[in-house]
Amino acid sequence: MLTKGQARTFFVGGTLFFSAIFLALTVDTLRQMPERQNSELMTASVVRGKMIWENENCMGCHTILGEGAYYAPELTRAVDRRGEEWIRIFLRDPQAMYPGRRKMVQYDFSEEQITDVIAFLGWIGQIDTNGFPPEPDMAPAVVVASVPAASTGPRPAYFDTICVACHSVGGKGGLVGPALDGVASRIDAEYLDRWLANPQAVKPGTAMPNLGLTDDQRAELVAWLVTLQ
Amino acid sequence: MKFRSQRVSYLFFATALVLLVLQICFGFIMGFAHMGFDVLHDVITFNVARSSHVNLLVFWLLSGFMGAAYYIVPEEADRELVSERLAVVQWAGLVVVGVAAIIGFQFGWWEGRKFLEIPRPLDYLVVVDILLFIYVVGRTALSAERFTTTGIVLLLGLTSAALLYLPGMITFDSQVIDSYFRWWVVHLWVEGVWELIMGGMLSFLLIKLTGVDREVIEKWLYVIVGFTFLSGILGTGHHYYYIGAPEYWLLVGGLFGALEPLAFLGMAMYAVSMVRRGGMDHPNKIALFWTVGCSVMAFVGAGFLGFSHTLPQVNIWTHGTIITAMHGHMAFWGAYAMIVLAMISYAMPNLTGRKRYLGPLPEWAFWTSNVGMIGMTGAFAVAGIAQVYMERRIGMDFLAVQEAVEVHFTGVVLAAMLLSFGIGLFIWNFVQYGLPSDEALERR
Repeated sequence: MLTKGQARTFFVGGTLFFSAIFLALTVDTLRQMPERQNSELMTASVVRGKMIWENENCMGCHTILGEGAYYAPELTRAVDRRGEEWIRIFLRDPQAMYPGRRKMVQYDFSEEQITDVIAFLGWIGQIDTNGFPPEPDMAPAVVVASVPAASTGPRPAYFDTICVACHSVGGKGGLVGPALDGVASRIDAEYLDRWLANPQAVKPGTAMPNLGLTDDQRAELVAWLVTLQ
Repeated sequence: MKFRSQRVSYLFFATALVLLVLQICFGFIMGFAHMGFDVLHDVITFNVARSSHVNLLVFWLLSGFMGAAYYIVPEEADRELVSERLAVVQWAGLVVVGVAAIIGFQFGWWEGRKFLEIPRPLDYLVVVDILLFIYVVGRTALSAERFTTTGIVLLLGLTSAALLYLPGMITFDSQVIDSYFRWWVVHLWVEGVWELIMGGMLSFLLIKLTGVDREVIEKWLYVIVGFTFLSGILGTGHHYYYIGAPEYWLLVGGLFGALEPLAFLGMAMYAVSMVRRGGMDHPNKIALFWTVGCSVMAFVGAGFLGFSHTLPQVNIWTHGTIITAMHGHMAFWGAYAMIVLAMISYAMPNLTGRKRYLGPLPEWAFWTSNVGMIGMTGAFAVAGIAQVYMERRIGMDFLAVQEAVEVHFTGVVLAAMLLSFGIGLFIWNFVQYGLPSDEALERR
C-alpha cells in the first residue's frame, strides 16, 4: 500500500517534472510568437491602441481573441467584418448607430485615438489564432429560405461596410433600420438624396444617424438604391 | 479555540462576508443589464460592475483564505502566532487596498486586463501586504517544534499564490504575450496553487470533523494535490488554443485539461470516504455539510462543467461566450467560496464559544444558497448554448442573439435572489455568533 513518503514523492516529482515541460513549451511559444503575431506589423499606433484598450477596460464588456466579458461583441475580426470606415463612424457616437438598444460608453475619442484603436484591432485580426473565430457552419441550412438579392448594378462598397450594419437587402444585413428591398418603389431619388444628406431635417427624431457622406458617396448610393425595385 | 491569537481570523472572515455582499450587488447590476435593464449605464457602466464583481470575489476569497490560515496555522504548529498585532496590521492593509481598488474602479482607475484589473501602484501594495502575511504565518510555522503536512500544503499554496501574482505585473506591448502570462496568474491560481490552499483547508476540516487518523488523511492529500499539478500545470494550455499561441497547445491543453476533473473527483471521493470512515459524531453538522458540499460542488462546477468545454473542438465554438460564465460561477462557488464558508462555519463556534450551528437557520442558508447557485448555472447554460448555436454556428447578429437570450437572464436573476437569501441567512447566523471571546479558549 502507498505510504505517505511515496505520496509526497509523487507530488513533488510530478510538480517539478510538469513545471519543467511547461517552461520549455513557454520558451518555444515565445520563440514562435514574432511570426504568429506578425511582430513587424506592430507599429507605434498599434501599441497606443492597446494602451487605450486597457485604459478604458474594453475587455470589461467585449471579448478579444475570445477573452473578456460577454456583454458586447467579439472583436478579433472586427476590422474584417465592419471595415475601418464603419468603426470610425461608430466610435464617434456609438449609441447613434444602435438607437434604443444595448449601450456602449460614449468615449469622446479624438480622431487619432480612433485611428490607434482601429490599428490595434486590425493587427489583432491578422494574428494566427488556429482558426478562431470559426465561420458559422450551420448558416447555409438557414439561409436557403431567404429572399434572393434583387438589384441590378454593383453595390457601392460604402453600402457593404456601413449601411448593412442596420439595413438588410436580400435578407442579409442588420435589423435596426427597415429592409431596403424594393425601396425604389416607395421613395424617389430626390427624397433619398435629402434623407441621406440630413436625416434629422427630413424626419426629426429619427434614429438614422447623419453619416457625413460626401456628395459623391451620396450620389453613388442614391444611384444604386433607385435600382432596388 | 486553542490559542488566543487565532481570534484574528474573525476580522478576515467578517471582511470576506462584507465583500461577498458587495460582489453580489454588482452581480445583480450585470444580471439586470443582460435582461435589458441597463438603467445604471450612466452611473455604473457594465465594465465597472464587472471588474468590481470579479475583483471583489478575489479579495473576499483571499481574505477568507488568510483568515483560515490564521486559524489553522497556530493549531498545526501548536503555538500562538508570532505576532497578533502584525496580523491585524496585515488585515488593515488588505482592507485599505481592497477599498481603494473598488473605489478606483468606479472612476476608471484600473488596467483593463481580465481578473487583474487592479492598477499597478496598488499591485505593489498587494505584494507588500501578502509578504507581511507570509512572514507572520511562515515565522509561526518555522519557530514551531513540529509542523504538519496539512500546514505545509496550506502555506505552500499561499506562498506560491503570492509568487504567481508577479507574472501578471509585467507589461507587454503584445496582447497575445500579455494574455499568455496573465493566465500564469489566473489559471495557475485557480487550477493550481489555490487547490493546495483548498486541499489544506479540506484536510484540516476532515481531521477535525471526522476523526479519521491524520496520517491517512494527509497521505491522500498529497496524492490529490499531486494530481492537481500533474493536470493543472500543462492544463494551462486550454487557455492558449485560440489566442495566437502555437498549435501544439490544442493537443497539450486538450489532453491535460481533460485530466483536470480527476483532481476534483479525487477531492470529492476523499471527503465522502473520510466522512464514511470516521466514527466521530461531531456536533457541528453544518460545518460538515459545507465541507462535503464544497468537494462535491467543486467537482461538478470546476471539474465536470469545465470538462464540458475544455476540448478544443468544443471550445472553438464556446470560447468567449456565456458558457464560460456558466462554468465560472459554479466552479468558484464550489471550490473556493464553499471552502471558506465551511471554514467559517467550523471556526465560529470555537472562536466565540456559542453553539449557533444548531437549529434550522444555518441549514436553510446552506440549501437555499446552493440551490440558488445551481439554478443560476442552469440558466447561464441555456443562455450560453443558445448563444453558441445562434451567433457562432448560424451567424446571427450579436445584438439580435443577446436580445433573444435576455429571458434566460431573468432566470439567472431569480436564482441569484435565492442565492442571496441563503447568503443573507448565513451572515445573520454569523452576526448571531458575536465576537470572539477569551471564554472560548480551551483549557490546556
